[in-house]
Amino acid sequence: MEEPVDTATAILASAAVLLRERAFDDISYRALADEVGISERTIYRQYPTRAHLLAALSNWIEQTCFPLPPFVTVSDFCTAVHERFRAFDASPAYAYVGARASAISPTLDTEPAYITRAIEAMLDVAAPTLNRRDRRRVAASLRHFSSAMFWARLRTGFDLDAGEICDAFDRAVGPVLARLPDATWAKP
Amino acid sequence: MTGSAAVPALTGTQQAILAAYTELIEELGSDDVSNRVIARRAGIAERTVFRNYPTRVDLLLATAAWIEATLFAREESHSIFDIPLAIRDAMQRYDARPELAHVVAETAMRGANGAAPSPGRAQLERLLDAEVPSLDAAQRRAVIAALSHLDSVGTWVTFRREFGMDRRDIADAAAWAAEAVLDSIRDRVAP
Repeated sequence: MEEPVDTATAILASAAVLLRERAFDDISYRALADEVGISERTIYRQYPTRAHLLAALSNWIEQTCFPLPPFVTVSDFCTAVHERFRAFDASPAYAYVGARASAISPTLDTEPAYITRAIEAMLDVAAPTLNRRDRRRVAASLRHFSSAMFWARLRTGFDLDAGEICDAFDRAVGPVLARLPDATWAKP
Repeated sequence: MTGSAAVPALTGTQQAILAAYTELIEELGSDDVSNRVIARRAGIAERTVFRNYPTRVDLLLATAAWIEATLFAREESHSIFDIPLAIRDAMQRYDARPELAHVVAETAMRGANGAAPSPGRAQLERLLDAEVPSLDAAQRRAVIAALSHLDSVGTWVTFRREFGMDRRDIADAAAWAAEAVLDSIRDRVAP
């Protein structure tokens, strides 16, 4: 490594390298320890279970490979999601780790993902007078259709490519937003 | 997933293994359960577990499919417009068994090596084709994909984890989103 990094990060970086050639389930702590050049025990100290490793790896991949483009308006949001789905499609092994990590029983103090907060902030601005229940319904729907899970389900279960997944996303999000009265949306 | 998902016929021994593992997941989590403990709970020899499920992944995927088909089974819908009701029920069922819900959600997100992520797809297609046959290919695909996604345990996991919703709110938001998806085809049923 050119730059000194802490052990926890070095483990994740090595796990990401191994992910290029094998599935997450086939990455043993032994192989990971050899790759990093540390003892297996050190890995257990950092990541006591594979669920901990999966969650941390997913966060690291998210930050380094799939940074979310900032968005303020709904149309920026849709553009950002399209970009993300195309990035997932270009690195499917990494994207599946994200989808999987978002499905497991939370390990520690899991905070909502950044995209969740960004969607809520977007709705605060775009629909300031919207009642709380409808706001949460919309936020949850947008969040769920923009997730790595949506991408993974459509890729594995429907055999769709990135373009088709973006199209399915637009067609799902459109009716969700259309459920609210026109007057909901703040005029620019 | 609506109605009966296709489950391969299981032997009595296999059912005992899957039921034992399911109980143990709820008690201990999916990580800490050895084959020996599963065998003891099922009242069989440890090598019988190995013979039926040679690897951990085999066992986990079979268990997730079994949970989905039994504990999380839902009433069959007779109309695509009943799907939001089925989704509402499903969310309540997931909420009652959170550990199992996470296991089923996770195994469906493993790509080609995992569980089928949209077991209810064929059923949704049947209903949609019978009632709203006039959709073009992209519209049809989008409706099926969106409903499949909402009609999954991933919805429960996401709404709970990302928004801290409780059982009622999850069921409400998931059914609401499904109604939104149906808005685009509500008045297009074949006469």
